[in-house]
Amino acid sequence: MFWDMVGTAGGIFLFLLAMVIIGNLWFHFVESVLGRIKRLFSRRKDPPAWHPLPPDKEEQNDV
Amino acid sequence: MGLFGKLFKGPEIDMEKSNANAKKMRMLFNQVVEDGDSYRIIFGYTEDVSRFNYGFVHGSKTKIGNLIVGWDESSQTIVVVPTVPDLSGCGDPTYYRRPEILKAYRNKYPTDAFIIYPDKKSYIGINAYDWLEDEKLYVYVSQEEELAAFTDFFMNRFATK
Repeated sequence: MFWDMVGTAGGIFLFLLAMVIIGNLWFHFVESVLGRIKRLFSRRKDPPAWHPLPPDKEEQNDV
Repeated sequence: MGLFGKLFKGPEIDMEKSNANAKKMRMLFNQVVEDGDSYRIIFGYTEDVSRFNYGFVHGSKTKIGNLIVGWDESSQTIVVVPTVPDLSGCGDPTYYRRPEILKAYRNKYPTDAFIIYPDKKSYIGINAYDWLEDEKLYVYVSQEEELAAFTDFFMNRFATK
């Protein structure tokens, strides 16, 4: 009786775990496909300007 | 302080790290904003929440955009510079001059963000807090005093009636 209940609970847990894993895989698959499509259309656009942090003056004098 | 006092004291701010980041923010800001020293600055962020429905999987995604927000009381101008949590660089500044904007107000729900509409088509919602612990998402900086000054400026001299 006890082991039957444990088996049922384990089965339900495994089913839910499989659903979560499949859901995650599906989400990342759709995201990657949409990302590639977006990149195709935005390839011609110039990337936004980016200004890197200038090196610290103290670090420059360390050499 | 007892054991329980230490346990429930909560997270402590690493002021050395916070001060180093405040300096980096200032360097980045002054690099892209003309006469940058005339502005006081704080860290803020935007939240872009979008819903998705991929068949049997649906939910919502939140994108966080880190910002260095500068304000100049004399010219009634707010400048917003996009950056990243590690402050390795920044983008071009956007200026919001009070006489030129459509409206500005502080939101009440769902967040107490500072909202600016430069025109009818676009808006920016700036969220700002005195300290955010998650270094992967936000700039690690303690700014209680600066936030109070920015809030006072925004509510009393920048917000439109």
